[in-house]
Amino acid sequence: MDNNDIYREEIMEHYRNPQNFGVMKRPTYKVEAKNPLCGDKILLQLKVNKKGIVEQVRFSGSGCALSIASSSMFTEWMLGKTVKKLKAIGPKQIQKLISAEIGSSTDADHGPVGPARLPCMLISLYALQKMFSEGR
Amino acid sequence: MMLETIKKEFPIFRKRGVKPLAYFDNAATTQKPDVVLERMDAFYRSKNAPVHRGVYALAEAATAKYEGVRGHVKDFINAEHRKEIIFTSGATASINMVVSGVANAFLHRGDRILLSDMEHHAMIVPWQAAALRKKIKIDFVPLTAEGRINLSVYKKLLAKHKPKFVGITHVSNVLGTENPVREMVALAHAVGALVLVDAAQSVAHLDVDVQNLNCDFMAFSGHKMYGPTGIGVLYGKKELLEKLPPQVFGGHMIEQVTRTKTTYAPLPKKFEAGTAPVAEVIGLGAAISFLQKIGLKTIAKNESSLTAYALRALKNVSGLTLLGPATADARAPIFSFTIAGIHPHDIATLLDREGIAVRAGHHCAQILHESFSLDASVRVSLCVYNTPAEIDRLVVALNAIQKKFQS
Repeated sequence: MDNNDIYREEIMEHYRNPQNFGVMKRPTYKVEAKNPLCGDKILLQLKVNKKGIVEQVRFSGSGCALSIASSSMFTEWMLGKTVKKLKAIGPKQIQKLISAEIGSSTDADHGPVGPARLPCMLISLYALQKMFSEGR
Repeated sequence: MMLETIKKEFPIFRKRGVKPLAYFDNAATTQKPDVVLERMDAFYRSKNAPVHRGVYALAEAATAKYEGVRGHVKDFINAEHRKEIIFTSGATASINMVVSGVANAFLHRGDRILLSDMEHHAMIVPWQAAALRKKIKIDFVPLTAEGRINLSVYKKLLAKHKPKFVGITHVSNVLGTENPVREMVALAHAVGALVLVDAAQSVAHLDVDVQNLNCDFMAFSGHKMYGPTGIGVLYGKKELLEKLPPQVFGGHMIEQVTRTKTTYAPLPKKFEAGTAPVAEVIGLGAAISFLQKIGLKTIAKNESSLTAYALRALKNVSGLTLLGPATADARAPIFSFTIAGIHPHDIATLLDREGIAVRAGHHCAQILHESFSLDASVRVSLCVYNTPAEIDRLVVALNAIQKKFQS
């Protein structure tokens, strides 16, 4: 199977056992974001220490395998990073981080999926961007 | 015509791919047969001219073709008069024309109108906009657990609120339910309501007869019946269309324009402002010929056995919950479902890899999904070229997806 496949076993494993899944008390930041494709919502919460470093992160909600797995992988990456670094991340880096190929849809066995699914992969990035633009 | 060979008439299915295309999104739009493409192409290549304007031979020929299709549509749905057939850009435009016209001309503050929980957004949203403007109240008929109109509540709502207007879909674009429209129209008329039937999901599947249904208005689109996009039909009873004010203004729909006022042209021109989509109308005519060549009764019979086959086959997918009637009677081949633990978009993406095109989402029917406590579902909608073998492929693919998500 293709290593860039959005349904490869690594992604399915994150979907079945998502990391940082749940809700925390007294987060520094929290935001709810909606997937424009299907209306699924996720709640993203961050606890940031005085040095501006992410100490704890939680996400919750329901969604497709890609949105849950990408949120799981992305929140793992967030831990220990500075807020400054979080603010600088964009869609290209997420794609690299998750190593999922989204391009033109093909009828090949495990080719890339169509750009329509991009919002699923970027749902927690949308949440993060909304979080910082809205403030605490 | 043999239904077994019908697929060969569609160029998209002649394309050789890695996997043959099983196209299951026909409730959204159907594929186009050669005859539709050829006639539209021939028009643009050698017969293109505006209609109703020129006095030269080319324009007169185009006008004759365009008006010929109006007669063809009239016969197809068994309307009484040609002028009861209005060409629009699609069912959405047709519904908007009726809703705006009826609300502006016939309704008053405090009036009530009645829709159902299975209506497409194209019926609900225009009424909500009109209701805000005119201070009208909208009531909704609920559905039974099986996904049929709750007729006893429908009768109660008619008696209680005496709605001025009833908007009802002929066939649900999510559940496949065929509503007892003839009976519902009669009940609505008994309390003095006008009735608009959304026939977008029925005209390509059932023998639709507006005089038999006795509806006041009907809307449908060309592209869901093997024709092109950008063309649809509004049917209305002559005396009602004559009273209904136009909602789109411009060239062609006028009788006389002076600096102080404009008088409108008679039917059907009054509702066809601007340059007509001639090629699309010709394409629609070709699509109707295509349907008539097979015969709507043959289509309905074939699709009914396909429905029964699919309902049996889908029982072999564990965890699958079907929305809508579990039996094939009064039911179109539209199957929306959920599978426990798997998001509809994952199912759609994974089916796509097997060459199976389905829809995932709310299918422009959020109220319906809400009434079943769902956000989204997967929809398989079949038509004349789909086969039992394709349904078998679907079942195999769904079981494989189940396995992938469970392992």
